[in-house]
Amino acid sequence: MATRIEPRDPLTQAQGVEHGYAQTARRWPSQPLVRRPHGAAELSGPRDLAHRLPPIAGKNAGDLAGHGARRALGQLVRLRIRVLDEDGAPLPGTVVEVWHCNSAGKYIHPNDTHDAPVDPNFYGAARLLTGDTGLIELRTIKPGAYPVPDTGGWWRPPHVHLSVWGRVWLSRLVTQMFFPGEPLNEADAILNAIRDPGARERCVARLAPSKGNEMIFEHQLVVRGRKGTAVMP
Amino acid sequence: MSRLIPTAEMTLGPFFPREFAQDASDLAGDFSAAIEITGVVTELDGKPLDNVILEIWQADAAGRFDNPGFSGWGRAATDAHGVYRFRTIRPGAQQGRAPHVNFLILYSGLMRQLQTVMFFSAAPDPVLNVVKEKERLIARQSGNTYRFDIRLRGGEETPFFDD
Repeated sequence: MATRIEPRDPLTQAQGVEHGYAQTARRWPSQPLVRRPHGAAELSGPRDLAHRLPPIAGKNAGDLAGHGARRALGQLVRLRIRVLDEDGAPLPGTVVEVWHCNSAGKYIHPNDTHDAPVDPNFYGAARLLTGDTGLIELRTIKPGAYPVPDTGGWWRPPHVHLSVWGRVWLSRLVTQMFFPGEPLNEADAILNAIRDPGARERCVARLAPSKGNEMIFEHQLVVRGRKGTAVMP
Repeated sequence: MSRLIPTAEMTLGPFFPREFAQDASDLAGDFSAAIEITGVVTELDGKPLDNVILEIWQADAAGRFDNPGFSGWGRAATDAHGVYRFRTIRPGAQQGRAPHVNFLILYSGLMRQLQTVMFFSAAPDPVLNVVKEKERLIARQSGNTYRFDIRLRGGEETPFFDD
């Protein structure tokens, strides 16, 4: 059945230029975005993406905390992330990219100039494929907070970057997952660019009962798209 | 049926892992009639941007999106000079659309993905038709190379779509 994409709700999605996030005023377009008709080009998508973007650090389940000879520094966590569409149907076999900084707040990327130490036993990048129930699992460590350069005291709360594909080109989702109970969540310019409190809350993972030595965090991602009778030109 | 609300989009940030963008910018593979699509991505005041992620989605030479021998999808990152490059094939016209390549842009400072479209000429097209500054979406051809600069904000700003 065809996929239908409905307009974004301005309360549950950021609007572009955001107070407290100076780069948005240099990069978000000054002209209004233009509404366009949707046809086959926008409502289709690559079917062989797992071939173009092969898994890194696991398949349905991955491990970033065991990259070196010893366990990575930090609090061991297990992330259970499920990908659904707007109808609540799980998306099996979809690509999920995950990246985050180490427990000291340092990314593996060479452009990160923060003076926090590198952890040789941690590698903060995984690309996984969802299983039959739309789920990926990742063992990793809880990322640290870090200061954003040249902002006069903005600290990013611990967060995990997520990139995921839905059924069609317009279902693409890039977002961030936050941890519950973090005081920095209250002031973060990125999380608080989302006006609706419920929509912000849905970006915060849920702490599940722990088994053994890992804290378990469960999270849900909803990609755009409903089954429906899209009008194809 | 009860509806789930799509998760809020958030910025890619500046540290998208380099290896995620490797080996995905060549869509043409063994096709002989390959073209290059290249350009510079800039912010306000024309400053070029490093590690911008661009993803494209296009039809095959016959205008089809379901060709098992041609993926139609690619990803590239800009270098320190703001330059991206794709190697691909020229898409055909399909279902009332002029030949075009869909672009998705992700970056630090963009809270949501930006969508634009590159066209090969000013042929009639229902998407190009809703844009005021049509010429900004038409690539400049030089041999097998098509130049398509993306100006996020400021003078000669690229038109972007809302979906």
